[in-house]
Amino acid sequence: MSAPVIVGYTATKPGRDALAFGARLAAASAAPLHVAIILPSEGRSVITPPDASYDRHLRAQAGEWLDAAEALLPEGTPVTRQIRAAESFAEGLIDLADEIGASHIVVGAADGGARGRHRLGSTTTELLHSSDVPVVLVPRGTRKLAADAPLGRLTVAIGTRPGADALIEETVALADATGASVRLLSLLPVDLPATADTAAIRTAGSTAASDVLAAARAELPDRLGAEVVVAEGDSIEDAVRGLDWQPGEVLLVGSSRLARPRRLFLGSTAAKMLHEVPVPMIVVPRTRTQEGEQR
Amino acid sequence: MSAPEAAPLAPTAEPTGGLSNKGLSAGTVGLLGAVVIGISCIAPAYTFTAAVGPTASVVGAQVPAIILIGFIPMLLVAFGYRELNNRMPDAGTSFTWAARAFGPWVGWMAGWGLVVATILVLSNLAGVAVDFLFLLISQITGNPDIANLATNTFINIAVCLLFMLGATYISYRDMQTTQKLQYVLVTFQVAVLLIFAVAAIVQAVSGNGFDYTPFDFNWFNPFAVPSFSAFAAGLSLSIFIFWGWDVTLTMNEETKDPERTPGRAATVTVLTIVSLYLLLAVAMIMFAGVGTGELGLGNEDIQANVFFFLSDPVLGPLAFLVSLAVLTSSASSLQSTFVGPARTLLAMGHYGALPPAYAKVSPRFFTPGYATIVSAIVASAFYAVMRVVSENTLWDTILTLGMMICFYYGITAFACVWYFRKQWFDSTRNVFFTFLFPLIGGVILLVLFVTTLIDSMDPAYGSGAEVGGVGIVFILGMAIIVIGVIVMIWQAIRRPAFFRGETLAMDAPPSRRRKG
Repeated sequence: MSAPVIVGYTATKPGRDALAFGARLAAASAAPLHVAIILPSEGRSVITPPDASYDRHLRAQAGEWLDAAEALLPEGTPVTRQIRAAESFAEGLIDLADEIGASHIVVGAADGGARGRHRLGSTTTELLHSSDVPVVLVPRGTRKLAADAPLGRLTVAIGTRPGADALIEETVALADATGASVRLLSLLPVDLPATADTAAIRTAGSTAASDVLAAARAELPDRLGAEVVVAEGDSIEDAVRGLDWQPGEVLLVGSSRLARPRRLFLGSTAAKMLHEVPVPMIVVPRTRTQEGEQR
Repeated sequence: MSAPEAAPLAPTAEPTGGLSNKGLSAGTVGLLGAVVIGISCIAPAYTFTAAVGPTASVVGAQVPAIILIGFIPMLLVAFGYRELNNRMPDAGTSFTWAARAFGPWVGWMAGWGLVVATILVLSNLAGVAVDFLFLLISQITGNPDIANLATNTFINIAVCLLFMLGATYISYRDMQTTQKLQYVLVTFQVAVLLIFAVAAIVQAVSGNGFDYTPFDFNWFNPFAVPSFSAFAAGLSLSIFIFWGWDVTLTMNEETKDPERTPGRAATVTVLTIVSLYLLLAVAMIMFAGVGTGELGLGNEDIQANVFFFLSDPVLGPLAFLVSLAVLTSSASSLQSTFVGPARTLLAMGHYGALPPAYAKVSPRFFTPGYATIVSAIVASAFYAVMRVVSENTLWDTILTLGMMICFYYGITAFACVWYFRKQWFDSTRNVFFTFLFPLIGGVILLVLFVTTLIDSMDPAYGSGAEVGGVGIVFILGMAIIVIGVIVMIWQAIRRPAFFRGETLAMDAPPSRRRKG
């Protein structure tokens, strides 16, 4: 995989988390790294008078922030700097991704998140609802990991219903590019109503999950040697909590079935997982853009 | 910012303290957008309610004349402002220009004047907003007691601080409404003022006015103003009502058609504003007179907030529209007003005239975060202290504000004249725009400043509040300038690089004639 990785950078701790993981992802998949600062465009000023000289000052300041960001990366990391103005952070990143044909957009958690936890801010949510390339959410504290740590394992959350082709494709591509091992994960049973015949549902759910897992595994090339995990618990949070995570691990989830084709939309399951998962999470659009198709 | 003492605001320029002239992408603001920004920066509903009373009390019925005359120095200075902005676009505006023309000390004081003036208006805006919030609630609920809550010092200060907190939060995060909403708000504001004026005239003519005063063309005659002192005081107030108008003239690079849009936008804006003000002034005088009776414009108790007292008698059940217009006008003006001091403080921090913390830009919201918060704290503290010290805070603040605007606008005008001294006679255009216009504008402002300063020593000036037999407006004005000098000297000891001219060098562009 050689499509570039974009880091949506801000000169904050979450921004440095995103930078650290983006650099590791780019290095592991031998992809070019673009570090982008998205400034507000002057066209959005309708109350405050626009001021070109202040915008110039911001650009200069963004340049200094990027200098400092580059200094955080291991010596000699090739970086393409991007400073652009856009209506919103999400819009700027998505436009940039379209322009350079990026494979991933990497962003940090919102402010106020606990160490090692995800937290969605309004800008990240907007990105998750409108991006057509996979978005990587990076939890707080990721920057503390060694810069040359490899991507150890890819955990793929497979739902109980089919329709995860794009997710499997993404997993294969990423595993091939980085040499990481693969773990298929199914979460169940979930939110059992108190009145239901628990045992029956458990069995039914189990069977359905096994079928989907088996199908997913069949799609993966044998060379990846994927392991399979079924996490059980009273709730999704509970099920996820029981899992073990390696330091260099990455979680892949598919976009919700509610999403428009080729757009992201974080489903409720994925949103719940986000609360418990201490590793970066890649959200993959439901149907990937076909190879060679004009984006 | 790693080395604020050495880095010019636009680091692409040479390190000798020069400024970059490199433009950004093409502008995005159209004519309508520029006019809307201009009108919402002036906030006519707010400015008029705050300024018409004090103006009427000094010049009597000649308010319309003063409004017309007050525009002249504003226009002349704005021309100079535009020349400087074209030559040295910089977020520090008056501070940077004055430092380039007259050196660091004068530049520092110009920046101080701008910051203090905008901080004063911030506190005044929030104060007016508080009054109208309570009035609006009382009009909607039909309970007149609620409006009186605004006179309770404690409640007033508490609500005002809440307003300030909200405005700071919005400014810090740079939250903008949609363009559509802003158009609606501005249209609403202008429409309500028109309705108010027409209703007042109709009421007055049909005999329902408080003190019906038949229209007289003499109201437009500036020579009918009783004394030069009154004339000067009125003028410095009417400069305040046009304050903010200059943004339309200086929006060059940002507009779609930089050759024509700023000029047209400025013209449309000022014609709208002047006709609105004149109509309102005439309507109010016809309805309420300039006497000191219950609703007269000369009544000290209603002067600082005339719409507050006149909207009910004039519009009856529709009076809440006026409250709503003034509230929205002050609220959106709070945000655009915050930009001024924050950016100037940022520039001062950047060039090393203030601690480097002021130069911090929020990495998430891209606003001058530290400077914004400091401005808010100072404005809040100022309002709270004034509310306790003075019986009529808003009034005294407006008078002091007029004085401070004269101070820093005057310095800016002279900075333009002096900076372009080698280019005055390059062309006929230059003779007017870099020499005559700003010079005359600057001299007028200087005269106004000195006259107001001397007159304000009289304890009867303004609301009549005094400290040790000297008027509070004089005390405020002098205190502001003296504190400015003290802080400047302190900064000069702590941060000598700026004051030696190492970060922002004096300059005068050479004449272009010989090259031709």
